[in-house]
Amino acid sequence: MNTLQINTTERSPEIFFDFDNNNFIIKGESYPEDVKEFYGPPLTKLEDYLNDLEDADVRFTFEFIYFNSSTAKILMGLFELLDEVAERGNTVSVIWVYEEDDDNMEELGEEFGEDLEHATFIMQAQ
Amino acid sequence: MLAETMMNFRNQLQEQGIAFCYCGFMTEDLLLGIGNTIKRKLEHSEIDKKKSKSVFSIFVEQMQNVIRYSAERETQVDKAELSYGIVSVGESDGQVFVTCGNVIEANDVPRLKEGLDKIKSLDKKGLKALWKETLKGETPEGSKGAGVGFIDIARRAEGGIEFDFAEIDASRSFFTIKAFI
Repeated sequence: MNTLQINTTERSPEIFFDFDNNNFIIKGESYPEDVKEFYGPPLTKLEDYLNDLEDADVRFTFEFIYFNSSTAKILMGLFELLDEVAERGNTVSVIWVYEEDDDNMEELGEEFGEDLEHATFIMQAQ
Repeated sequence: MLAETMMNFRNQLQEQGIAFCYCGFMTEDLLLGIGNTIKRKLEHSEIDKKKSKSVFSIFVEQMQNVIRYSAERETQVDKAELSYGIVSVGESDGQVFVTCGNVIEANDVPRLKEGLDKIKSLDKKGLKALWKETLKGETPEGSKGAGVGFIDIARRAEGGIEFDFAEIDASRSFFTIKAFI
């Protein structure tokens, strides 16, 4: 099985990339000491993989409780990457999961999602 | 005498509505510890969830700023860096505030002032546009974060932000930012 898993810590999210099923999840809190150090290796692997992908069905789920501004920058890049993957003909669903009463996380999701032109964006309260 | 001195110091802080204040060397470990304490305190306060999250978020952005940019810093034997600064959280006139301060190089004052003046002049919509533009742009030179921290603070500070500089000497100034939530 080709997967990449990083367990959650107090200040960094769980990352679960299931390359065999094109199912990707980032979940938790994100204000690591160094965002580039934390996100760099998994996202480089993801980018390399997605750049070669054709005719695939990709599902990417974001489920954040909190993230800082440095993480927001990483997320913006990731959204742009996912939209490019969709533009090349893949079917990409981006799912933004937020706590029902978390207006701020809902708003942030809308703000990230509104720039997607090719990927399908789904907001999901829970 | 000793107790009186400390009590007066504490009273001074309390008079300004300060519930929490830390002054000294800061590390990311400390940020995590204090952040968790603030989170716990907010969970049991009367402040609503959205406001609590904003307070926590602004606190993280401000403290990471001090850690990354304070000009008053020491490099330890193991290359670890310790930054000196002050951070406080309090409440006055029904508004929660988060304030931090640190020494910066005098050279950095104009750039910082220009950036913050711009942020302060923008409304909600303008802040969102600048936030997006900054997230999509290249990380500014010399920035260890995304260069988006102050915009994030302003977006969450519903009562606005204030900032100020106090000259220490020809080469250094003291910088403070206060966000009202």
